[in-house]
Formats: sequence, C-alpha cells, structure tokens
Amino acid sequence: MTMHRPTRSAPNPHPRLLPGLAAGVLAIAVASGAFAAGTFDIAQLTAVLAQAKAGEATFTEKRQVAMLDKPLESSGRLSFQAPDTFVRETLLPRREKVAVIGNTLTLSQGSRSRTLALDASPEAGVIVEAIRGTLTGNRDALERHFNTEVSGNAAQWTLGLVPREAKLRERVAAIRIAGQQSAVREIQLDLPDGDRSVMTIEPMTAPLPVAGVAAAAPATSAASGASR
Amino acid sequence: MRGRRALGLWLVGLLLAGWVTARSHYVADLSAFLPSSPSAEQAVLLDQLRSGLGARLVLIGIEGGTADQRGAASLAWGRSLRASGAFESVNNGDNAQYEAFGRFLFDHRYVLSPAVDAQRFTADGLRDGIADTLSLLGTPAGAMVKAVILRDPTGETVRMAETMLPRNGPKNEGGAWASRTTERAVMLAITRADGADLDAQEAALTGLKTSFAPYAAQGLRLVVSGAGTFAVASRAQIKHEVERLAMAGGVAIVALMLIAFGSLRALGMALLPVASGVLGGIAAVSLVFGQVHGITLGFGTTLIGEAVDYAIYYLIQARTAHGAPRGSGAQRWLGESWPTVRLGLWTSLCGFAALLFSGFSGLAQLGVFSMAGLAAAAFTTRFVFPVLAPDGAPGLGLRRRLGEATGWCAARLPRLRWPLVALAVAAALVLALRPSPWRGDLASLSPVGEAAMQQDAALRADVGASDSGLLLALSAADEASVLTLAEAAGARLDKLVDAGAIEGYDSPARLLPSAATQAARRAALPDEAALRSRLAEATAGGPLAADRLGEFVRDVQAARQLPVLTRAALQGTPLATAVDAMLVPGNAGRPWRALLSLQAGAKPIDEAALRQALAGLPGVQIVDIGGELKRLYARYLHEASVQALLGALAVCLLLGLHLRSWRRLLQIAQPIAAAVVIVMAGLSLAGAALGILHLVGFLLVVAIGSNYALFFDQLRHTGGGDADTLASLALANLAAVISFGLLALASIPALFAIGQVVAPGALLCLLLSAAFIPAQRPWSCVKITG
Repeated sequence: MTMHRPTRSAPNPHPRLLPGLAAGVLAIAVASGAFAAGTFDIAQLTAVLAQAKAGEATFTEKRQVAMLDKPLESSGRLSFQAPDTFVRETLLPRREKVAVIGNTLTLSQGSRSRTLALDASPEAGVIVEAIRGTLTGNRDALERHFNTEVSGNAAQWTLGLVPREAKLRERVAAIRIAGQQSAVREIQLDLPDGDRSVMTIEPMTAPLPVAGVAAAAPATSAASGASR
Repeated sequence: MRGRRALGLWLVGLLLAGWVTARSHYVADLSAFLPSSPSAEQAVLLDQLRSGLGARLVLIGIEGGTADQRGAASLAWGRSLRASGAFESVNNGDNAQYEAFGRFLFDHRYVLSPAVDAQRFTADGLRDGIADTLSLLGTPAGAMVKAVILRDPTGETVRMAETMLPRNGPKNEGGAWASRTTERAVMLAITRADGADLDAQEAALTGLKTSFAPYAAQGLRLVVSGAGTFAVASRAQIKHEVERLAMAGGVAIVALMLIAFGSLRALGMALLPVASGVLGGIAAVSLVFGQVHGITLGFGTTLIGEAVDYAIYYLIQARTAHGAPRGSGAQRWLGESWPTVRLGLWTSLCGFAALLFSGFSGLAQLGVFSMAGLAAAAFTTRFVFPVLAPDGAPGLGLRRRLGEATGWCAARLPRLRWPLVALAVAAALVLALRPSPWRGDLASLSPVGEAAMQQDAALRADVGASDSGLLLALSAADEASVLTLAEAAGARLDKLVDAGAIEGYDSPARLLPSAATQAARRAALPDEAALRSRLAEATAGGPLAADRLGEFVRDVQAARQLPVLTRAALQGTPLATAVDAMLVPGNAGRPWRALLSLQAGAKPIDEAALRQALAGLPGVQIVDIGGELKRLYARYLHEASVQALLGALAVCLLLGLHLRSWRRLLQIAQPIAAAVVIVMAGLSLAGAALGILHLVGFLLVVAIGSNYALFFDQLRHTGGGDADTLASLALANLAAVISFGLLALASIPALFAIGQVVAPGALLCLLLSAAFIPAQRPWSCVKITG
C-alpha cells in the first residue's frame, strides 16, 4: 500500500501511463510473494494461512527435557479442519491421540479417553490455541491469547507467540512457528525451565484448495492491503 | 358472679397467650410447605432439599469492570472469604488453597488412584505407566508432573486428578472461573451453616455482601443465588408481607367499624375479639408446633376479618330494644342471635379442622391457628361482651345507608336467580370442557420470582453445577458396603457411558473408594525387592533410569503400611465436602446412602435402559427428581382433596343436624356449590394452575359461605330480619372479602392462592344466597333502628 498511495495522490504528468504502472507494481508484488521485506505482518500471514481450510501432515517431534537421560522422540499424524478442529495422533512410540473440536479436548491413551473443556484448563488451551489458531489463520484467536511477532515473507515466515497472560508465561515461555505459504513446517515450544520441544511437519497431501491458493495468496493479500 | 368469672378467665387467658406469643419462635422458611410424611426415596430427596449440600451452596457472580478486574477481585476476595471462616469452601479456580490437601492426596495416591492393581506393578505395567507420564514432559502440562516424577513415575497423581476433577469445569480466565456466556467471574461457596438454619445462612450472606464493599467501590457488581439465598430472601419477603398485611388489615377494620358505628368506643370494643383471636391463635400454634410460621401470621389477617364479624353482630344486635330495661340487650342477643352465630362458628371450625390432617405442616398450622383464633374470638364475644357492653354499642355511622342498599339489593337479587343459574351451568360446562386446572406443583408454592430462577440457572450453568435431574439413590447398611455398592453401580454405568447412553455420572466412590477396593490396591503393591527388579526391567533402555527412582520405591513401601481411608479420615479436607454431597450417613433408623447424579448427553436418558443396566443390584433406586416431586405433590393434592371433601361433608352434616330438613339443607348447599363452580371456572379461564392451597381456599369458601346461606335461611324462616341484621351481614361479608382480598394482593404464592379463591368466593356466596334463598316478605319494609 505504501507503493500504491503515491500513484494516487501525487500529480501525474502522464495520466495514460497510470494503469500500466499500477499493473506493473501489482505484477512485481505477486512475483515477489510480498510487497517488501518487513511489511509482511500478522494480518497478511493469517490471510495466507486462512486460505487452507483443511490439511493433513505427518510430524516428528523431539523433546529436550533436562532431567531425562535422553530426548523423547515421537511421530505421527496431524490434521485440521477450519474453523476449529485439530487432531494430533501419535503413532510411535505409543498410540496416543489429542482431538480438539471447538472447546472440547479429548485425550485418548490406549483404551481410556478423557474429555475436558479447553477454556477450563488454560495450560492445555494455550498450546492448542497457538497451533489451531495458526493452522486456521485465526488472527483474532492468536492476538487474544498472544503477543505476536511475524518475520520473513509469505514464502518463508516465522511467527513468534508469547502468552499475554503472566500466569500462562509461567507455563509456556514462547512458541515459534515457521512455515511456507499456508503450510506450517515447524513448531517449537520453549518452556520456562529451559525444556524445549520441536515438532517438524511434513505436509502429507497438499489439499486441492491449498495448492490452488498458494500462488494466488500473495495477490489476494496485496489486494486487501491496497484497499486499506 | 358468672360474668365476672368469665372476664377473669379471659384476662388470664389473654395474658398467658400474650406470654406464649412473646416467647414464640417465628420461622419463615418454606420447608413447612414441603410434605412431611413422604415415602422412603422421597425422604432422601426432601432431606437433601432441606439440609443437604445443595441447601448450603452459594452461587456468586461478579459483574462489571474488565475481565482482569473481575478475575483479580475473585481471587483476592476468595482468599478473604476463606479466611473469614463462614464458608467450608470457596471455589473460584484458585488452586493455591489445595496445597495442603494435595499433599494428603499425594500421600494416599496408591489407594486412591484407579489405575492401581496387580497388573500395574508388573514390569509391563510399570513400563506403560512411566511412558504415560513421560509423554506429558516437554508440554505445558509437564511442569506439575516434573516436580513429582521421581516419586510418582507411573503418574498416579495424574490419574487421581483425572478421576476427581469435574468433567465440565468452568472456564478459567486469568486463574479465576468465568462465565462462558456473559462477562462475569463466577464462584461457588459452601456455607458452614446448615441450610435449615436460616439465621446463620442470613449472617453468612450478609457477611458476604459486606465484605464485597471494596470491590463494589471499584465499580464491580455482586450477584448471589442459591437455595440459602432464596430461603433468606423468602423469609424477608414473608416478614415484609405479613407486616404489610397486618397494617392493611388494621386500616380495613378501622374503616369498617367507622362505617358501621361512627364511634371510637365501638371500634375499641371490636378490637377485643380480634386481639383475643390473634393472640389465642398464635399461642395455640406455638404450643402445638413449637414454632410459628410467617405465612400463618399472614393468613392470620383473615382472622381479623372473621373475628370482627362477631363484634359487629353483637354490638349491633345486642342493642336494647325500645322500652326494654337497660342491660337486657345481651340476654336477648344470647337467646336470639347466638345460636346462629354458634352454628356458623361450628361450620367454620369443621372447615378448618380438615387442614389439621394435612401432610404439609404449614397447612396444619393454618388450621390450628384459625380454629383457636375463632374459638377465642367467639369466647370473647359470648362471655366478655355481655359484661363489658351489656347493651351493645352506640353509634350509627353509615349503617342506615348500608342497610338500605343491602335491602335494595337483596330484594332485587332473586329476580336474577335464573341468569345466575345459567351462569353456574355455563361455569360447570367450562370446567367440563376445558383441561383440568388442577396442575399446580411444588415450585408454584415458592415465592422466588422467574427472573431470580433464571439467574440461578445461568450461574449454575457457569460453574457446571446443573445436572439431568436423574439420581441413583443407593442404600446399604454401612459406609463400606454403600461405597462397594457405588462401585458396582459405577461399573454398570461405565458401560452406559461407553455406549453413549449417558454422558457421565458422579459417584462418591471416585473420591473415596470402598475399603475393599483400597485394601485390594494396597495388596497389589509389591515388596521392595520385587519392585526393584521389575522397575529395572521396565526402565531398561529408557530415558529415566531405575536407580533415580529410589524415592518411588520407598513411597510404595510406606503405602503398604498406611490404613485404608474412611470418610472420617477425610475430615477437614475439601474432599470431605465433595464426598458429603454424595454420601449421606445412616443411623440406627436408616441406611447409609450414596447419591449418584447422572448427566445426560445430547439425548435424554432412557430410564428403562438404565433400570435394565442396573438390574440385580440390591438397594438401588432411580430417582427422577422433578418427576418424584411432581408425584409427591400429586399424592398430597389427592389426599388434600379427600380431606377437603370430608371437611365439606362435615359442614353439611352439621347444618343438616341443626336444620333437620333435607330441603333447607339443599337450599343452603345450592348457592355455595354454585359459587365454588363459578370461581373455579373463572380461574380456569384465567389460566391459573390450581394446587393444594386453592383447594384449601375452596374449603374456606364452603365454611364461610355456609354462614351467609344459613343467615338467609334463618331470615326466611323467622320472617325476615331488620335492616340492622342485613347491614351486619353485609359488613361481615365485606370484612371477609377485604381480608381475603388483601391476601390476593400478596406476592407470596401460598397466601395469594387462598385469597384469590376466597375473596370472590365469599362475595359470590353472599350474592347467590340472597338470590337463591329469597325472604318471605319484601326487604323494602324493613326499618333500621338507631
């Protein structure tokens, strides 16, 4: 938008050149995937992310826990569906499933399962809101719970999340999510005591709408940026 | 001298009654209007309603301000409330209060965790348990686990917490509970005071509101609800209402006496039977029941209306006739009028006597109060007035006009006989064609308004305290066996939960497993050598080596020596409160009871399927709380209607014995029956739901209306009365209509119901009696004497 505004307000000696210039600017914006480094913000990131309405992926997770003799490793499947469904199914070393639908979180371990209300247990809620909010591109949910910081561009971005509530910062120091376009590739969780877990994500099937949108997304965000 | 003796007796009686009245214990909770002789399962329910945990629950909401302000206020205020000592627990999401309690649970984890069994302590079981626990590390939930993992590697603490924490917990906002639907912080407090002890409840609630002042100064608003709040508010409302009714009744009687006599002396005289009646009534109730209910006092204002009738009759009719010696009026009245008044008294007593047998102690009080009050008022009139006012009372007031107007009406009313008959027939048709209006329930007796009920429901939903209304009541001989039974029932319910037939259930055995289960868990704990070798096998190659788990081995060995927990051992912990909500101790007379409330899922619970699932378990009852209360009320309504019919029959019998004529009895019964039918049809058309108190009202209509009909019958057979007699009749009716009309304006449903029936009923009885029982000679000839 910083590039668009002068074209409109400054006196232009060659009025017929104007449409061509605007088209050229737009083309550059689309080609680069963003207007310019540093202007890619949470609004644009969530707009890109919101294009993906559903997705499936595999993950591997490595947790560094100081008191243990070696890191904990696990792997499994992830899936999400807008607006509010998110499932993490661990297959190795043992089967385990965390399913979140709306405000209900269901934990299954072996034959037993347990349901709880997400908003009743903030320590579970904080991580779910971070991952679900990112996957579905829900800017409101992210900003309600976290101070956000976006860096990079649509092609390669990083989203830093720090819980707004002091009490929650005693549980989670920071969450760092990295991705490319609408695909989340890594989630890193830093705990206050220095323990850290890193989840690496590999999209399993790129769902059709996502594939189509991936190219169009920057154009859309450019358009929405211009309209402001 | 006989008169002096009577006067002395009356004075002594008045003083005694005054003394008893002054020392009486006044109550105003509505439990007097809960039935008193229910069946066994209903007894559990009523017990719970009166003084169970539910009666001690205070639902609190903090509104206004920002979410941060509300949360901070909830946490700070919660701490000060806990420190005040008035509450057994104050729950608002602040877990700091559970620290000491957490240690208690942690120490007893090996008998309380549902995961502990022989398999759990095999090498495979240990490996699984440790893997479960490790899976929480490196997540936000891991912090708590990490602190204890070396002592509790199998995660029994986690399993215990999963079992004990409510499934549908409130939303947590900044560490404090908050509503999901509106901007409100919510808290749940349990008073130390018993639910039935309203003074203590009121003190606790007042303390609660006072201590909120600093937060109110910040612009926050306090919302309080719950059974105790309702009871205290009801009592205040009843107190206020009774004062209002007494005042209005007093004004009405003064107005009536001024209309009747225009004389202060007559007014003073008329107060004597009224005061004697009220004092006598209160004293009798106090002596019989040990306490006096506020509603009884409210109802007492109607006694003013009836007692003043006696005064009006006497003071007018005992006036010395022209030429008769002074002081002979009383003798004449005793000879001519007293028998009719006495018969009226007897019929009224018959009507009220039916209330004595009511299963509601509140109604029985009304019966005793009215009977004693009427008897005292009649005694005063019969024995005291002839001494104090042998010639009645002077003064004419507006009585001449009233007498003339009454005579005018009475002369014309018989012409309306057929239209009135048609009205009665139409009313009967309305009753026959419309659905029965007898659909009142217990809830309709409660003075708690709709808005307050809605707010209560909203707060309950916020804190997750609402349930399906379906309860399993389990009974067994002692604590251990009732908990064993709860576990057996729980095992069957688990299958229903898995099948989706029910959403879930609460059981005391989850918090306090039976002695047998605890002993079995303790027996499953291996000795030190076995545990060490299995642990080595289980942790081989894992991230947590066995040699770091020395404290775990020590804790398990210590747990093998701990005694099993009983309810008594939990005393003073938050667990005790939670267990008490579901476990009702027994005694020599009744068994121990466990109450398991069921939660419905998306679809309502199928009671037949539930019954089948629980088949074969002894001592298990399914209690549908709403349905059970409805059945309870229906049974009492039925009983009350039988009593009312018997009462009406007794009135008829009495009249029959006195009149010794079927024809006259029938003639008297006609206007009364017509009045009852017309009022009932009117209420039905107005959409009113009639209940036990309406039935009582109809009984009173019969008792009072028969007096009027009797009067007209007497007038007809003695050749008609003078205008004074008619005026006294009109005044008496006016007194009754006014006093019951005041009840109809009351906001307390019990009083409102009675007033709503009796005020129009009494008026109709008078009009219909005049219409259906015409005098032999025209009313217009009558002359009034002044």
